[in-house]
Amino acid sequence: MSIISQDAPGKTVLLMGNEAIARGALEAGIKVCAAYPGNPSSEITGSLSGVADEFGLHVEWSVNEKVALEVATAASFAGLRGLCTMKQNGLNVASDFLLNLNLSGCEAGLVLVVADDPGALSSTNEEDSRAFAKLGDFPLLEPATFQEAKEMTKWAFDLSEDLGLPVLVRTVTRVSHARGNVLLDELPRLTKKPLFDTSKPRVALPVLLNHELLRDKLRRAGEVFETSPFNFFRGPEKPELLIITCGSGWMYSLEAVINLDLSERVGILKIGTTWPLPEQMVLNHLKKVKHVLFVEEVNPFLENSVKEFFAQNCGDLGVKRFSGKASGTLPDIGELSPDIVISRLQDILKVSYEPLPAEYALRAKEISAQLVPERPLGFCAGCPHRATYWAIKNALALDGRNGFVAGDIGCYSLGMGPSGFSQMKTLHAMGSGAGLAGGFGQLNAFGFDQPVIAVCGDSTFYHAVMPALTNASYNKSNLLLLLLDNSATAMTGFQPHPGTGKTATGHEAPILDLEVICKALGAQVEMGDPFEVEGTTETILRLLQDVEGVKVLILRRECALVRGRTQKKLFNMEVEQDLCLGEKCGCNRLCTRVFKCPGLIWDTIADRAGIDEAICTGCGVCADICPSLAIRKEVV
Amino acid sequence: MNGGFRALEEKVFDRDLCVSCGACVSLCPYLRSWQGRTVKLDDCDLAEGRCFDYCPRGRVDLDELHRKLFGGPYKEMEIGKVLNVFMARARDSVWTGKAQNGGVVSALTDLAIKEGIIDAAVLTGRGTNLLPKGHIATDREDIFACAGSIYTSGPTLEALNRGPWNGDERIGVVGLPCMVLALAKMRTSSLETQTPIDRVEMVIGLFCTWALDYKSFMAFLRERFGDLPIGKVDIAPPPERLMKITAGDELHHIPLDEVRGFIRSGCHVCADMTSEFSDISVGTVEGEEGWNTLLVRTERGEELVKLAESQTVIESRPLPGDKLSHLREASLLKKRRAIDAMRDRGGLEEGYLTLSQELIRQIQSESKEGA
Repeated sequence: MSIISQDAPGKTVLLMGNEAIARGALEAGIKVCAAYPGNPSSEITGSLSGVADEFGLHVEWSVNEKVALEVATAASFAGLRGLCTMKQNGLNVASDFLLNLNLSGCEAGLVLVVADDPGALSSTNEEDSRAFAKLGDFPLLEPATFQEAKEMTKWAFDLSEDLGLPVLVRTVTRVSHARGNVLLDELPRLTKKPLFDTSKPRVALPVLLNHELLRDKLRRAGEVFETSPFNFFRGPEKPELLIITCGSGWMYSLEAVINLDLSERVGILKIGTTWPLPEQMVLNHLKKVKHVLFVEEVNPFLENSVKEFFAQNCGDLGVKRFSGKASGTLPDIGELSPDIVISRLQDILKVSYEPLPAEYALRAKEISAQLVPERPLGFCAGCPHRATYWAIKNALALDGRNGFVAGDIGCYSLGMGPSGFSQMKTLHAMGSGAGLAGGFGQLNAFGFDQPVIAVCGDSTFYHAVMPALTNASYNKSNLLLLLLDNSATAMTGFQPHPGTGKTATGHEAPILDLEVICKALGAQVEMGDPFEVEGTTETILRLLQDVEGVKVLILRRECALVRGRTQKKLFNMEVEQDLCLGEKCGCNRLCTRVFKCPGLIWDTIADRAGIDEAICTGCGVCADICPSLAIRKEVV
Repeated sequence: MNGGFRALEEKVFDRDLCVSCGACVSLCPYLRSWQGRTVKLDDCDLAEGRCFDYCPRGRVDLDELHRKLFGGPYKEMEIGKVLNVFMARARDSVWTGKAQNGGVVSALTDLAIKEGIIDAAVLTGRGTNLLPKGHIATDREDIFACAGSIYTSGPTLEALNRGPWNGDERIGVVGLPCMVLALAKMRTSSLETQTPIDRVEMVIGLFCTWALDYKSFMAFLRERFGDLPIGKVDIAPPPERLMKITAGDELHHIPLDEVRGFIRSGCHVCADMTSEFSDISVGTVEGEEGWNTLLVRTERGEELVKLAESQTVIESRPLPGDKLSHLREASLLKKRRAIDAMRDRGGLEEGYLTLSQELIRQIQSESKEGA
C-alpha cells in the first residue's frame, strides 16, 4: 500500500510535500489527474498513478501540459473533480487553454498545481508562475508547510467548486521535495456518474460578459480569503518590523526570527491565499507597523500586490517603509534561505548574531572535499547521450563548417556542457531545438552555411516536436533532427510515454511508432544505434552534407539507468594497462579527460586508465574510443 | 623548445599552413584526415607532441636536419645534397602509360618490393571521388592503382602511422617534399616515436611546385565536367602553362591560372621543390616528354637506381646541362618565394624556417638573377 493511500484518519505520517498534495487531492475525492512530468512537480501525479487502480481514478501522463489541463478540465465539466500538475515551464504550454478556461469557468473542483523551481535547480528558468494568477484572474494558494500542502490542495477543490473557477496552487522545490509530518483525514469514496450539462455550454464567449463574471468570482475569492486559516499572524501586537511572507518564505522567516530571538520585536504575517489579497487583513496589519519586509521567492509578487494596495489606501495608513526585492534588501533572483533572512534582519534591527564560527564552515568544506568525490554535472555512466554527442562532435568537426546543435529540454540538455562536449548552442523550451533548426534551415538562401543539428528526446518529441517537424516539412526547410530515443522520460523519473507501450498506471498502451510518425510528417527517416559511434558519425555527416530536406535520425538505446534495472551488462570492460598510453603523446587521457564517462577512472598509482566496476554499465563505447585498443570489451 | 597540439593549431592550422601530409594523423585520437583536410576533433593540452614535432610547417632547422641525416650543414641551397643527376624512364610501358612522365617512381617501387629491398611501400592512392589517401602497396597491382597524380595533396603519411604493420617490415615511402620533410623530422625527433620510421628504408621524393586543395579543386572539376570520370591529369611546363585533364573520353586544356586559386595556402611557404631529404627524388624534365629527372641523394638510393639500370627496369641518360640549370633556377625561385611568404606571415622571425642569414641573402639575390 502506498503511503498516500492509508485509510487512517488522525494518523500523522511523514510525507514529501508532493505526496501531501497528492493526499490532499485524494481526500478531496478527485477522479481524474492528468500531468506532464517535470521537476519539481513529478511526484504528485507519480504517487497518484500508484494508487489509481485502488481508488478507481484515471491518472495519466499526458503528452504535454496543455493536453493534461484539458483532460483534467473535461472531468470538471462532467462533474468530477480533476487535478492537473506541472512545473512552471509547463504552465506556459498550458496557458493558451488556461486563459480561455477562466472565462468559461468550470463545474466540479478543478485544481492546477504548479511547482516552481526558484534557483532553477532542475530547470532552464526560474519563472515565477504566480504571474498567471494575476494575468488570468485565478485564485492562488501557496502552501508553506507539508500539512498546508495537503490541506490547501483539498480545500482548493471546494473553493474551485464554490467559485466555478479553476484554482491555482503554487508550490516550490523546498516545499515539494522536503518531507514533514502530515495529519491524515478521511478518504471519501464517492461514486458519481459524470454528465456534461449541455444547457451550460463552456465557451469563453461572450467575452465581456464572462470577463465581468470572472471579476465577480475573483472578488468573492478575496472575501473568502479574509477569514482563511491559511493566513495568520505570529508576533507582538505592535512589531517594530512586519515580515509579510508566503510559501517557502514562512519557514525561512520563522527560523530567522527564532534564531535571532526577535519574537518580541518582529511580527510575521504569513499569507497562504496570495491572490487576490485578503485586503482587510493586510490593512489591519499595515496600520500597526512602520516598516515591512517582504520575504518570498522569486519575484516581488506579494510585495507588489501589497504596495499597490497600500498606494490605494495610503491616506489612511501614513508613511511606511517597504523593504524587499525592489529596495534591494533581498536578492531578486535565485532561492532565499534562512541565512539570507537572518542577515537582513541583523542589518535592519541592528542585532548581532554569531552563527557558527567561520572556521567551522571551512573545516566542514575541507572534510567533505575529502569524503565526497567530485561530481560534475554530466551524463550517467553508459548514457547513450554521451555516445551520441561524441558522434555529433566528430561529425561537426569533420564537416568543418562551424556547425552546432540546437537543443531542448531533457537529460540531453547537458549537451551544452563538457559531458556533451559543449555541442549544444541553443536551449529553450520543449521542441524549440527542432523549431529553431527548421528556421536556420531557411537561411541558406541568405548565405547561411553552418550545419545545424536539432536534438530531442522521445518524450519531448510527442510533447512539442511534432509541430516543428510538420512545419519544417511543409515549408520545405533543410533540417536534421536527431531523435534520441532512450525509451524513457529519463530526466523526470522514467515516466512512461506514448512510445513505451505503458500508461501511467502500468497498463498496456499502444506504441505510437516514432519512425512511422516521422515518415508521416514528411521526413526521411533513418535508424541508428548511438553505441555504434563511428557509424553514427558517418550517418550524421552524410545526412548533413548529401541529403536535402527534412531528415530524422532515430538513435535508439535505452536509458542506462533503465537498462541497469532490467538487463544485464552488454559487456565486461577491462583496461589492459600495458597497452594504455596514459599521459603520453598519442592519447593524453582521452578516455578520462575528454570522453569522461564516470565508469572510467584514472588509476593514479599505475598512471593508467581503469574501469570503476561499480559504476560501469558495460555499454562498450569506450573500447571504440580508446586509440590504443587498451580498453577491452568482452561479451557477457 | 618543441610545442604540442596547441602550437600546431596556433602556428599551422590558424595560419592556414597545413598541407594535409598526414604526418600528424593516426598518432592520436585528436586529429583526423577528412576530405583532404586535417581536422581537430578535440583539444589536447600536452606541452610537447609528435603532431607539432613532425609537422613540415612547424619549426624546420635545415642545418640541424642536414647534419643529422647527411652528416654536414645545409649548403646546397638549390636542389639539396645530390650524389648523381640524370634523366630516366621506365622500360615497361605498363608504367609509362598511367604514371606521370617516365613512370620511374612506379618502376623503382615495384623493383624495390620485388627485390626485397622493401616489403611494402606507402603511396598515395585515390578513393571515392578521387580523394587522395595513404595506401600501403605490397605488389605490382597496388602500385599500379596508385600511379599518376591529380595534383591534390593528401594524407599519405597517415597510412605510415596507422599501418597495420607486423612490426618487422622494411618500408618505402613515396611522397611530396612536405612529406619527405616530415619523414626527416620524424627520423630526427627526440620524442618517443612509436612510429615505424626506423623501418623506412627507402624514400622516393617527388618534385613539387604546389598542390591543390582537394575540396575546392573537386568542386571546380564538378562544375566543369559534371559527373564525367576524371582520368589522367598532367601539367605542361612553361611555356605552355596548361593543365591537361582527361574527363570522360576527352582531353581538356585548362590554363594554369584558372587553377592557381586552388593552391593550398600552406604550399606558398614551402621552400623545397625537389624533396631534399629523400633517397631519390624524381620529377619531370622540361621539354622532354616521357622522361623523368632523377636526383640520387644517398647510397641506398644509388644502389636501387643501379639495380634498376642493370635489370633494365629503367633506361637512363645524362641530364643535359641546361635542364639542370633550369631545375636549379626553378628550385631557387621557389625558395625565394617561400621566404617572402613566410616573412609576410611572421614565420621567419619566429624561427619556423631556420636558415643562416647568409643563405637567405644568397637565395634572394641569386634567384633574382636567375629569375
